[in-house]
Amino acid sequence: MVRLYSLLLFSLSLLTSSAQEGLFDLLDEGPEPTQYTYATFKGSKLLNGQTNETPGKGVLQYIISHRFGSFTDEYLYNFFGLDNAHIRMQLDYGISDRLNIGIGRSSVLKTSDAFVKYRALRQSTGETAFPFSLTLYSSLNYRGARYTDGIAHNASDRLSYHHQAVLARKMNQNLSLIAAPSIVHWNLVPSPEDPNDTYHLMLGGRYKLTKRIALTGEYAFSSNHLYGTGATEERFYSPLSIGVDIETGGHVFQFHLSNTRAMSDPLWMARNPYNAANGSLFLGFNISRVFNVNQ
Amino acid sequence: MKKILIAALFASSTIASAQQYLTREARLDFDAGSPLEDISAFTQSGSAVYDAGSGKIGVQVLMTSFQFKRALMQEHFNENYVESEKFPKASFKGTYSQGKVKGALTIHGISQELSVPATLVQEEKNLVLSTKFEIVLADYSVKIPKAVANKISKTAVIQVHAILKETSR
Repeated sequence: MVRLYSLLLFSLSLLTSSAQEGLFDLLDEGPEPTQYTYATFKGSKLLNGQTNETPGKGVLQYIISHRFGSFTDEYLYNFFGLDNAHIRMQLDYGISDRLNIGIGRSSVLKTSDAFVKYRALRQSTGETAFPFSLTLYSSLNYRGARYTDGIAHNASDRLSYHHQAVLARKMNQNLSLIAAPSIVHWNLVPSPEDPNDTYHLMLGGRYKLTKRIALTGEYAFSSNHLYGTGATEERFYSPLSIGVDIETGGHVFQFHLSNTRAMSDPLWMARNPYNAANGSLFLGFNISRVFNVNQ
Repeated sequence: MKKILIAALFASSTIASAQQYLTREARLDFDAGSPLEDISAFTQSGSAVYDAGSGKIGVQVLMTSFQFKRALMQEHFNENYVESEKFPKASFKGTYSQGKVKGALTIHGISQELSVPATLVQEEKNLVLSTKFEIVLADYSVKIPKAVANKISKTAVIQVHAILKETSR
């Protein structure tokens, strides 16, 4: 009887002690909430290309970009290429945390553009986990430069389009990768044999060196590199860029080296005349600033 | 005798489990703002448990659940300051007695002893936990860059308001 009594007491004490030790385990139980992956990239642009990111709701973003002159073109005379820099300005606004619209103006061929960007799918963990982000991006580009071919052109001849699906994944807190298939459509091409539509695949990524500094890179494959025939023949090269992202509060500074100078999408992606292998490399930067206009 | 003992055993075990209180909808607020910048956030998805028998009390929160007014501030909070990917949760594990909670507060992977006033009052069937206290960010290795040092307070005021419901396991 005594034995039974002590056994029961023992089991009783065991039961109560386990109930107390397990108390804090209760904090970890229950469904794990869905957590959307944040800061896959620092900016809404990687270098020339788009990331999956958009500014948040009610955020006005201004991006100023420069692409300096070539190292091989009287570099010091042109003050390290600054004197013949190309420029693009962009102003965009976050209608919601997922929808972003903007306008831009580039000096190459006096191109104006307008774009819409939508975060269709977001990488997440927890209850509804999803392995990657998908952002859809479309831009409309208008060539403002006069034609020198002596032909009367319609306004529609000046238009070109870029439609892109940006697939991005934050692999870990330092490494993020992008694969972005896209299509460029030209209303006007140099000769009837040239395709109006070209297909592209941009690959890119970033690797964080510190909390606020990251290395970035991007490259885009193209379905067509040759336009026109004979005297009008033009060859285009795949854009390649490497850079550094530096983040300071509301600014993101992106400094880079690439074989591109144009910044409107169809031009840098499908009609880049500079060949990195021939030493056509240019320094450039994008600087973004965000303003909270509507909280 | 045997039957009585077994009955007593069951009774005591049910009493022990009936004394636990739990919520997964605790509200936590924090404010590390300065006159130059409003830096505050809240969450409604904190967890809190209390064992009336032992006085043990625990609160836990996912850092990414804190909502800021500005998306970029929220990103910087998680990415640069509290490093939510490395340290996803903040927790308090300790005891409550006579208007005080005492125990270990863990933020950013660092635990510090904490002893602050708190109230735990019965409201109908629930227990309501309330506390407000200040922590020094440097104690938890939350580093503030010099460039923004005048915008961010060196301390953060934390408020907890949790309605704990009786739970049986």
